[in-house]
Amino acid sequence: MNNPFSLHPSEVTEKAQEIRKKVLNMNYKAGQGHTGADLSEADILASMYFRLLRYQIDDPNHPDRDRFILSKGHGVGGLYCTLAQANLLDEALLDTYLQFGSQLPGHPVRQKTPFIEVNTGALGHGLAVGVGLALAAKKSGCDYRVYVLTGDGELQEGSNWEAAMAAAQFQLDNLIWIADRNGLQLADFTNKVVDLEPLDKKMEAFGMWVGQTDGNDPAAFIDTIESLPRGDGKPKAVIAKTTKGKGVSFIEGQPSWHHRIPNDEELPKAMEELKC
Amino acid sequence: MLTQDKTQDLREVMVDTFIKAVERDVNMVVLVSDSTSTAKIAPFKDRYPDRLVNVGIAEQSLVGTAAGMALGGFVAVTTNAAPFLVHRANEQVKNDICYTNSNVKLVGLNAGVCYGALASTHHAIDDVSIMRGFGDILIFAPSDPVETEQIFNYALAYEGPVYIRMDSAKFPVLHDKSYQLEPGKIDVLRPGQDISIFAMGSTVYEACAAGNILNDEGISAEIVNVSSIRPLDREGIIKSVRKTGRALTVEEHGIHGGVGSLVSEIVAEEGLCCRVKRLGFMEGKFAIPGPRDEMRAHINIDAEGIVKTVLAITKNKQRQRMP
Repeated sequence: MNNPFSLHPSEVTEKAQEIRKKVLNMNYKAGQGHTGADLSEADILASMYFRLLRYQIDDPNHPDRDRFILSKGHGVGGLYCTLAQANLLDEALLDTYLQFGSQLPGHPVRQKTPFIEVNTGALGHGLAVGVGLALAAKKSGCDYRVYVLTGDGELQEGSNWEAAMAAAQFQLDNLIWIADRNGLQLADFTNKVVDLEPLDKKMEAFGMWVGQTDGNDPAAFIDTIESLPRGDGKPKAVIAKTTKGKGVSFIEGQPSWHHRIPNDEELPKAMEELKC
Repeated sequence: MLTQDKTQDLREVMVDTFIKAVERDVNMVVLVSDSTSTAKIAPFKDRYPDRLVNVGIAEQSLVGTAAGMALGGFVAVTTNAAPFLVHRANEQVKNDICYTNSNVKLVGLNAGVCYGALASTHHAIDDVSIMRGFGDILIFAPSDPVETEQIFNYALAYEGPVYIRMDSAKFPVLHDKSYQLEPGKIDVLRPGQDISIFAMGSTVYEACAAGNILNDEGISAEIVNVSSIRPLDREGIIKSVRKTGRALTVEEHGIHGGVGSLVSEIVAEEGLCCRVKRLGFMEGKFAIPGPRDEMRAHINIDAEGIVKTVLAITKNKQRQRMP
């Protein structure tokens, strides 16, 4: 099975910009949303769905599909817009985001939305579930890969490190943990709250093969993922450095934009900046 | 029926059920958090080492990994001590199992106060209460070896989350081989007219023994095994209470959130004019640690305590008329 789009990285970059526009419009209309996270992860999500993940458009539950777990479930707005951009989700549904009974609630719910694998939102859950999926693949002789996208502030949750130890013990080289390293969490910068550094050394010490890349540059990110060693018995951890709110100058790097949405004046300015 | 001379550790029955399930091609895995001895899982491990996963002393990882393995196509069963499952891994149980609706069977071993004098860190007198707070999970508490086998076979075949409350003691056989578990139905072990005694898990055999003693005292107690907590037999409970006019609940669990609460809620909602006496651990208190049998005697959930309680309820009091 292949990625149904297999786009060139430059085309992935264009998709990411379109995803960002959708995010801003959707959050503006909904009156709520995690704008900073949605924008920060857009290049990673575009790379996953338009290049890296192997899946079938018409069969979201195909047993051989690669699994993608959005452990940072608050970034689901970015994921919905990515799925809509890839025609995996009816774009009209974006107008129902966060409404009562909508198929698109504020955190991922697999019973409601196609291509959602796990119901996340509480932080520190995705990696252990990813360990279970990767272990199931090994025990079943399946060759699908399991990608888990965590935030970075999320890594303050101890459950991640339980899962990391288990992943190394079980030699899950089919597990790829991507840390969206934007350096910000709800209250402040991660290094001002509880510092994660040296994150790469921590991951290595827990038995991971560790790589670092630019999570806002699809070309670099795709190259890193496609160059990962295979069959070495080591789970992979990729620190993807990103800018929270990437793409809109007045949102970038601002802790206040974790929860904020653009107002009537900000929306057109943001859209102007996102013109390719 | 109560056969005291034949007792069995329910965990041995559980493990035997797992082995037989794999033999008939159930694609299952058992996960432990270093709890291999707690689960008495060695016979399964010896036969199917690839189907046993030990995540180490890491209960959150245990439950999350089980969810992932279930999403990857396995029937995943976790087996560890109930307190560490429901307390430490509470959010994983809620989100990764219940909310995600993953096909995981959570076995809470040594629930209640099985650990006795090891004290409250090791007690789970709120596990049913906690599980009742979550959506989309079935809840069972087997009362004897016969029922244990049937509950596990039902859970393995059911597609979705199940919690099974288990014990560490040897339980007498209460059911003959013709017994057929009906999820969502109460199990009337002894019909009676004067009082309904609703018991769960490790107190069911005590209630049966009490029923025999009470019979000699001229009191006809209806002994009801509430092993299927979700789905619950609301109509069956109403019918029994309407008949006897008195209800006593007995559980090695807090009196809130377990069988005592369930029966009280139904009686109140139906407007049944009936006293409900609840035996169990007090609301808002940790259990006083000590030898388990003394702990049980202290809160009157052993046969002697049940008899004493029933005599106090029935003495000089006329049965209420049912509306």
